[in-house]
Amino acid sequence: MSYITPISKRKGLHLFGSPNEIFLIIAIAVLSLVIGFSNSVFFSIATPFDLLRSSLIEILFALGLLIVLVSGGIDISFPIVGIFAGYTTVVIMLNLGLDTYSLWIPLVLAAIVGAILGSVNALLIAGFGLPTLIATLGTTGMFRGFLLSYIGSVYIANIPLGLDEFSTADLISVQTSSGTLARLHVLVIPVLILAVAIAFMMRRTMFGRTVFAIGGNEESARRMGMAVRWTKARIYILVGALSGVAGILYISLQRKADPYDLAGTELEIIAAVVLGGASIMGGYGTVTGTILGVLLINLIKDNLILLGIPGSWQRAAIGLMLLIGVISQAISDKRRAKQATVIEEDAS
Amino acid sequence: MKDISRDLTRRLLGDRKLTQLVVVALVVFLTFSILVPDLFLTPRNFVSMAFQIPEIALLALGVMLAMLTAGIDLSVVSMSNLAALSTAYLLVTQVTEGGGNVYLWIVIAIVIGIVVGLISGLANGAIIAGVGVTPILATLATLTLYNGIAVGIRNGQSIIGLPPEFTAIGNGSFLGIPIPMIILLVAGAGVALYINKTGLGMQSVLVGANQEAATYSAIGVKKVLLMTYTLSGGLSALAGLIIASRSASANPDYGSSYVLLAIVIVVLGGVNPYGGFGTVTGVILATAVLQMVASGFNALRFSQFFYQLAQGFVLIAVMILNTYVDKRRMRAKKDKAPQES
Repeated sequence: MSYITPISKRKGLHLFGSPNEIFLIIAIAVLSLVIGFSNSVFFSIATPFDLLRSSLIEILFALGLLIVLVSGGIDISFPIVGIFAGYTTVVIMLNLGLDTYSLWIPLVLAAIVGAILGSVNALLIAGFGLPTLIATLGTTGMFRGFLLSYIGSVYIANIPLGLDEFSTADLISVQTSSGTLARLHVLVIPVLILAVAIAFMMRRTMFGRTVFAIGGNEESARRMGMAVRWTKARIYILVGALSGVAGILYISLQRKADPYDLAGTELEIIAAVVLGGASIMGGYGTVTGTILGVLLINLIKDNLILLGIPGSWQRAAIGLMLLIGVISQAISDKRRAKQATVIEEDAS
Repeated sequence: MKDISRDLTRRLLGDRKLTQLVVVALVVFLTFSILVPDLFLTPRNFVSMAFQIPEIALLALGVMLAMLTAGIDLSVVSMSNLAALSTAYLLVTQVTEGGGNVYLWIVIAIVIGIVVGLISGLANGAIIAGVGVTPILATLATLTLYNGIAVGIRNGQSIIGLPPEFTAIGNGSFLGIPIPMIILLVAGAGVALYINKTGLGMQSVLVGANQEAATYSAIGVKKVLLMTYTLSGGLSALAGLIIASRSASANPDYGSSYVLLAIVIVVLGGVNPYGGFGTVTGVILATAVLQMVASGFNALRFSQFFYQLAQGFVLIAVMILNTYVDKRRMRAKKDKAPQES
């Protein structure tokens, strides 16, 4: 019973966002002000538009990873799944002569390829019960090796027309005072809808609640009669499909399909999701926090130069942010655990 | 009695895994010897493999130490590059200016490199043991941070043109044995001694087997973890120095695929990723197996990506095999138990 108290406390705070989300918003605001005052170029409508554009794909990947983290696992194969699905889709479409203006064909194809790759992860993790880090590390090597040795290792510049056209589909374009065109990509809307849908799925559906339950305590979930294995399998297939969609959209925005892309971005996205407050031990994480985490990291990445910090220190800055994030999370977890024991003692 | 029997089964299990590995090594050796004898089965190829094995094996030993305690160290490659870069930086700034004692500076630079590795590892240990961050997350964060520092200090550029006195170490041989191999054997013996003969080392295995039990048995879990990750940093630094010495350069982004490789080696070498079991012999043997595979693939003109595919496949195959065998043995034990009593 004692564990219920802190959670309900947390629930009360949800009206204003969790403490972590408030912290992220403050961090983003303070950082924006600092950057803006040291370089006024920052205060332009182009800045949030560019920030969103560079964050959209990462948000898609991050939302998938969020589901995995909430379930108590970790996935490092998703960027490779994404580029594998995206690149393969382009290759299939070009080989079949499907150089159409349709956007649905590549999206569905990429989702299918992603789901197939995801089901390999699902088989290893839910079927054979392998540790998630090692299983996805292994599939990362396998998928990347397979992609580059059997599907293709050259980059394709003439991607299907629909994808190419989509890269310049703007929702709003504003003429800024400096003369450049500030553009907000139309992808913002589907990503937002998807984020809301995932938030709904995690909070309101049986599947989502089971994911939380597994992450909280797998053994308890099993004994409550939840379909732990089947849920886990569905998580990795779903995340595969989501990564596939993210991969093909990445290719669309880049206007080229490069099979070497995205490898290595998993660290940054894990960093974003963890900064967003998701617990790597499972059982906790929010969509809002995840999106804020991605925005914060991209804000740092895109604007370090404006702060006078050379671009070569960008990685170190991200590493430092991640370190601060995981340390503060560990400290607050410890405090929460201590509180829980105190309450437990009070009750007894 | 129970303890003795458990110890015995553990040892047998260890032997079984080592035997398996020897069989695998022989199969790999024979396969490539038959397929590409003129390229694979040459003294030159084996000498070159003996030069390539140590750096990877040292990184894998670092990962093994972490895995023994049921943790993981993803930052080994970053630490090794950071150490190599520090040493290389000192060497190019101090030695090429002429004058001064070249050998003295080489020794100083090597010591500094190893100290950089030890400090990075100590920081990992402090974050994991002191603050209580999960090893995966802690080393993921420091992987990015250490790599970021290595990129930052030299603007992302590599350092080239290390003095020949330094490169002689990594490319030289002593009594026909490559010096890196000697370094590996000494370090490996040191790690084996640490695990099997020192208090902290034996405790680290217990921490991995059951951290809660270890805490209640008054084992200083924090001290053990601190030591584990510090040693991992030291081993990574050694690997970095060998790489720098062999290639006469240091690059902040060298060997990013080595993380996967090191974990593949450790798992193939029979180390239990859940902690509590692992041998140095297994890890070194597994490195040799994978190096033979790499070299054989090379002789067969397979691409490096095919090698990556194979690594992933081996990792998963070994893990599945281990879970399957463990499950069967558990079942066999259960079936047997009633008859014994």
